[in-house]
Amino acid sequence: MLWILLLGAIALLFIVLTPAYYYNRIIRAENRIDNAWAQIDVQLQRRAELIPNLVETVKGYMEHEREVLEAVTRARASLMQADTRQENIEADSQLQGALKSLFAVAEQYPDLKANQNFLQLQDELSHTENKVAYARQHYNDSVLRYNNAIETLPGRWFAGLMGKTERDMLQIPDELREPPQVSF
Amino acid sequence: MLPEEHIRRNRQATLAICLFMLILLFSVIFAFGFALGFPPILSFAVGLPVALLYVTLSYSFSVQSVISAAKARPANPRNRREKLYMYRVEEMAIAAGLPVPSAYVQESSDINAFATGKTPEESIICVTTGALERLNSEELEGVMSHEMSHIANHDILVMTVTVGVVGAIALIAEILLRSLFWGAGRQRNKNAGPLILVAVIFAILAPLFSRLAYLLMSRRREYLADANGAMLTRNPAGLASALEKIRGDLPDDPKGSRTMAPLYIANPFKRSRRGSIWATHPSLDERITRLKAM
Repeated sequence: MLWILLLGAIALLFIVLTPAYYYNRIIRAENRIDNAWAQIDVQLQRRAELIPNLVETVKGYMEHEREVLEAVTRARASLMQADTRQENIEADSQLQGALKSLFAVAEQYPDLKANQNFLQLQDELSHTENKVAYARQHYNDSVLRYNNAIETLPGRWFAGLMGKTERDMLQIPDELREPPQVSF
Repeated sequence: MLPEEHIRRNRQATLAICLFMLILLFSVIFAFGFALGFPPILSFAVGLPVALLYVTLSYSFSVQSVISAAKARPANPRNRREKLYMYRVEEMAIAAGLPVPSAYVQESSDINAFATGKTPEESIICVTTGALERLNSEELEGVMSHEMSHIANHDILVMTVTVGVVGAIALIAEILLRSLFWGAGRQRNKNAGPLILVAVIFAILAPLFSRLAYLLMSRRREYLADANGAMLTRNPAGLASALEKIRGDLPDDPKGSRTMAPLYIANPFKRSRRGSIWATHPSLDERITRLKAM
């Protein structure tokens, strides 16, 4: 009698604990993804905030480079309007390309390069750029972890019950890998 | 080994070190009491609280003692070089998905770095000014990724506590010996006998403890931190190049506390390039080869 009770208790514990374990695992992996996105979002915002400051600083020196400045302003505007995560990333890589051209052109202006404000902005912008890149990497790592958790057995069974489906990784746009085209 | 398992092992190792030190210290005090003819109850009543107090205090203050042994100070954001270093720390924290550690700087011309703290939530990364001057951005990033991995793997807890708890013994021995040395000339009282005995015993034990600290720092941790660091930056060449610079630059006359050595990214006291079973760190050659093969 006693051993039947004991066996029953163990079976019950197993039946309760296993789903709880996988439930927590999946939810945790999912939260990680959202958290990783929040981190990207913060960095994109920060970058957008820095742009007007940069344009203001550079304007006085680079009067003949209106196109470069406009490209930066335009890219910032499309970043502000981006809706989905993928759109955000694409707008950001556009902005990054525009900034690269701007900094390349800035090399021609010794006065500007000596400007402390400009130097600081340049440092901070390349810092936010790195942060975006690493946050994106962390996001994709988190997606991979989550997808692994819900696609492998037995997590797959529980994910099915929870209605969880695979998430997409962020695609890094191609233009990001190309060197910037600068025309003088 | 799974990361969770590695973290659990680090916790167990930390507990083991504290318990070991507790028992050791207690036995030493008890043995002294016995040798000096005190009743066992008294030795027990003194030994246990003293040992407990020592372990508790040195555990609680281990981070501070590491920081003050390194004479480290917080990085100064007004200095461009240090500001850029703070940026690199933040970037690596984002890559690892962890809170940003405090950035510290140690004034030294050597190239070195360490991480300390008890949890990833309250951690510290420290680099030497030599590293800031001589490593380029990619190399510094590689070093940061190595330290960030120590933080993520919870290696910092066991490393810091080992240095704090074990190293304090060496420090006490040094202080005792020094005060005896200076005090001997001024006052030659008869009570100095047992004190000298204590100091001598400590002086004999201290190097053994430092050795122990070395042994507890498994070399696997270093390889793991190198590999995980490369995962964070996706650029093993940066760390490899930093290690090459360190290899070409090991100081002839290393300064600072020997007990701190296991904490650093490369042991400043090991000029020999061969790996040995006594080494806390694998040989730089081997680490560089492995990174380059990634």
